Amino acid sequence: MNFQGIYDRIRSIQAPGVTGMDEPREPNPQDKKDKGRSGDPYVLVDPQRLPEFLECLRDDPSLKFELMADLTATDPSKEDGYLWINVQLLSLVRKHRLAVKCLLPKENAVMPSSVSVHRGAQWAERECSEMYGITFEGHPDPRNILLPEDWIGHPLRKDYEFPEEYHGISCK
Amino acid sequence: MSTTKTYEPSISRTEGRPLAGGEREYMIDVRTQDMEVNMGPQHPATHGVMRVLVRADGELITGAQPHLGYLHRCAEKIGESVEWLQYLPYTDRYDYLAAMNNNLGYSMAVEKLMGIEIPRRAMMLRTLCAELNRIGSHLIAIGTYGLDIGAFTPFLYMFREREWMMALFEKICGARLTYSYIRIGGVFNDAPPGWLSEVEAFCDTFEVKWREYYDLLIQNHIFVKRTADIGVITREMALDFGLTGPMLRGSAIDWDLRRDTPYELYDEICKDKAFEIPLASGEKGTLGDCWDRAWVRAMEMMESIKIVRWCLDKIEPGPVIGDIPKTLRIPPGEAYVGIENPRGELGHYVVSDGGKIAVRCRVRGPSFVNLAVLEELMPGALLADTIAIIGSTDIVVGETDR
Repeated sequence: MNFQGIYDRIRSIQAPGVTGMDEPREPNPQDKKDKGRSGDPYVLVDPQRLPEFLECLRDDPSLKFELMADLTATDPSKEDGYLWINVQLLSLVRKHRLAVKCLLPKENAVMPSSVSVHRGAQWAERECSEMYGITFEGHPDPRNILLPEDWIGHPLRKDYEFPEEYHGISCK
Repeated sequence: MSTTKTYEPSISRTEGRPLAGGEREYMIDVRTQDMEVNMGPQHPATHGVMRVLVRADGELITGAQPHLGYLHRCAEKIGESVEWLQYLPYTDRYDYLAAMNNNLGYSMAVEKLMGIEIPRRAMMLRTLCAELNRIGSHLIAIGTYGLDIGAFTPFLYMFREREWMMALFEKICGARLTYSYIRIGGVFNDAPPGWLSEVEAFCDTFEVKWREYYDLLIQNHIFVKRTADIGVITREMALDFGLTGPMLRGSAIDWDLRRDTPYELYDEICKDKAFEIPLASGEKGTLGDCWDRAWVRAMEMMESIKIVRWCLDKIEPGPVIGDIPKTLRIPPGEAYVGIENPRGELGHYVVSDGGKIAVRCRVRGPSFVNLAVLEELMPGALLADTIAIIGSTDIVVGETDR
């Protein structure tokens, strides 16, 4: 199924939390500031309802997104007030993919964990939470995964400041 | 152990543990005090600097917790600090056994944003190199797996063939391990004269040698005894954990990105029916055990040889790289490209705001995702099987930690 078909199906089964979608578009020749957008289309979902949304898509017989390929976050810029949560879904039976995006406010970066739907989200969410400071509510094991337990700050945030030293080791 | 989850041993002490051939092995119940054993961070069988904290009750494992991060080199942070082309050498360094595939994945993600066409000869060389690298990577996977569980000789034999493969890559790009050969827009340079016939000679020899390895290691009675019925991944577990690559096909799930979401020239290769996807059948024990995964990797090497031969047959002269400026400005947008690495789906998620530097450069390493299943597989296994299970996941710690 192509993206339009998947999106129509999501709309017709009233999957929870869907707020919209975005597709790549050509640059506008009249407006020089509008450079268009390239790449993949995606579905916008409310982060607080992401687990329900994933469960709905996993169990729907014609979508069957049973494998979560990736869950990650993006900090678009320092000025932006939102973090993106990017999920890549894959259906082995129907042989199609879907990109899902959630906008999560930076001041209150708390959202429910998807581990109950896809257990593969467990490590991905741990990585997200240490790198971006997102709290996943209901996560069974919310420790750091790649960084040391006592690391200060969230390195992939755009406003991250590099530490001067770590346990007496100079980071310069 | 900080995890609060309590594990139920999957082996019943009274019913015993099933063995290949219908026999059962019984254990005497010698409950002892729970003991925590640290395997690593420098244990040679963990394929890099990784630590697995194992909790054992006598010989029976009751819990296991992988600790990562010893090799964390901030690849994603570097991706947001250097220019698009400058990031390419860093891609070599996460899965250093399959650097060509990493180059390919990153280049394809950037090309998707740029929307450019790749010259046909470049695509041929890309496919050829990626498949040759897959053979090299699987040789290490199987060779070191044998080494982990006590078979030293096949490892040396397999390194001989891998050495030849690396010499071929050295001739085409000058590097033996970190190639940076596949570039955004094509490949670095054309194959030197006579290189393609050397690849053909490699294929001819490899087909003969492969048979030897298959008999020597994969079908070896001791190897089968050590790997069959151990570390069984069921179909549901594989999907739940998002496993990909040989880990998925080892549980008989028919999925290969090369066939099911074709990229580069794989569309044409599939139309010609030039290769097949080997699927495990639980021949030596239970479906989805360690032996099945090793078998899938061994069979995939021969399928890769078929693809290499297809490329050698169809390759024609032509340009190998388009007109790509030194400083790239990528149109704004976001793209995810997943390709079939030897270890599974290697995903690159790149975001551009129209500038010289990426906003986000996410790497979805297959080893990282595949390793997560360890926490589920280990409880109930015997302490001696730990190494057999870790080895069968075929992880490269450079990629789990990135």
